[in-house]
Amino acid sequence: MELLRSLTLGQYVPRASPVHRLDPRTKILAATALMVVVFLVRDFRGLGVFAAFLAAAVALSQVPAGFVLRGLRPIWILLLLTLVLQIFFGASGGGTPLWRLGPFVATREGLVQGLFVTARLVLLVVCTSLLTFTTSPVELADGMERLLRPFRRVGVPAHELAMMMTIALRFIPTLVEETEKIMKAQMARGADLDTGGLLRRARALVPVLVPLFVSAFRRAEELAVAMEARGYRGGEGRTRMKQLRYRAQDLWAALAVAGISVLVLWPGRW
Amino acid sequence: MKSARTRRLVESGIAVALSAALGLVKVYQLPQGGSITAGSMVPVFYLSLRWGARTGVVAGALLGLVNFVLEPVFVHPAQFLLDYPLAFGVLGVAGLFRKLPWLGVVAGGAGRFLSHYVSGVVFFAQYAPRGTSPWVYSAVYNGSYMLPEVVVSVVLTLLVLRALPAPEGL
Repeated sequence: MELLRSLTLGQYVPRASPVHRLDPRTKILAATALMVVVFLVRDFRGLGVFAAFLAAAVALSQVPAGFVLRGLRPIWILLLLTLVLQIFFGASGGGTPLWRLGPFVATREGLVQGLFVTARLVLLVVCTSLLTFTTSPVELADGMERLLRPFRRVGVPAHELAMMMTIALRFIPTLVEETEKIMKAQMARGADLDTGGLLRRARALVPVLVPLFVSAFRRAEELAVAMEARGYRGGEGRTRMKQLRYRAQDLWAALAVAGISVLVLWPGRW
Repeated sequence: MKSARTRRLVESGIAVALSAALGLVKVYQLPQGGSITAGSMVPVFYLSLRWGARTGVVAGALLGLVNFVLEPVFVHPAQFLLDYPLAFGVLGVAGLFRKLPWLGVVAGGAGRFLSHYVSGVVFFAQYAPRGTSPWVYSAVYNGSYMLPEVVVSVVLTLLVLRALPAPEGL
């Protein structure tokens, strides 16, 4: 029943690096562009150059490499499974056999292809990690609002989405703490939360969920009243304390991403 | 009218936060790695039944994005859309069944399963070699945690609704 153990909200690693100082819009767009590039790369040389570029970016961001590798944890089973499947079945019908495991034959082509798709997956995950490690959730929400603004015409509620996201991110730690407190309170009264079958456990959660819902929705009501008392009227004409502004460094970052994309994807390069 | 808008916005934000918080409480750990949460979908279902499907879908999609920010798994653009904004956004369809909340929860849960299911198929079509059956694998994997999760959600949503009725639109 410990849930607070690893609650660093999101994965933000605060540092004073050039990557952290980039505008969140730049980082969101750059990460998106890089992910597209990873999908278009067709050979190991391209992946190698790309990996070198990403490694440089990680070094520049001052985020410890261990953190970045930890980002692979949720998918390591997936990586392993992909690699193994590719080794044995990657070369459909034929291929140079390497070794046998019962009825299955590992092929050289399968191994090569397996390494390729695994490397691609790892690079994708590192791209996303780099974004979430260097950009705080609030900055991400801000950047998202600005990037979605042009789509308001087609009915995307950019401001509302960003506002909800900010509220959600702000209240997750509070509500986690509250959940834990209520769970402990009910356990102290003899509630048995972790034995029995599924349905029993679900029913046992009712005395936790009901007070939690009551307090969360009361909190929401208070927050709504407080916001309106301060003149909140939605996105129109709202000003903000920190304005997002593109600076020279954002241009350099964009040029670097464009450069690496050309270098990696150019068909007859070198 | 204005007031209802702010209220809806704030309640959506808080419901998303509550869902994310409950998602961290693992009630039941499945042997093959999935886990059943303490009704992490219930706040979004409750919100949909309270404010309608539109609000529910928007909040659900946002929950998907929040989940992505908290623990990103990105392996394919289609997988990202299917596993995050779509899978959770579709929970909001529960709001179409205000007269029959249990059916709404089942519909929302079925939608989320379908979204993860298709995502699994897309993923395996991309990364796994020919010969393996992505359909069976994805159905077994995603069904193993979604089915119990939906059962838990139906029970909890109904019991929370009984204790805390959701007046329409408020």
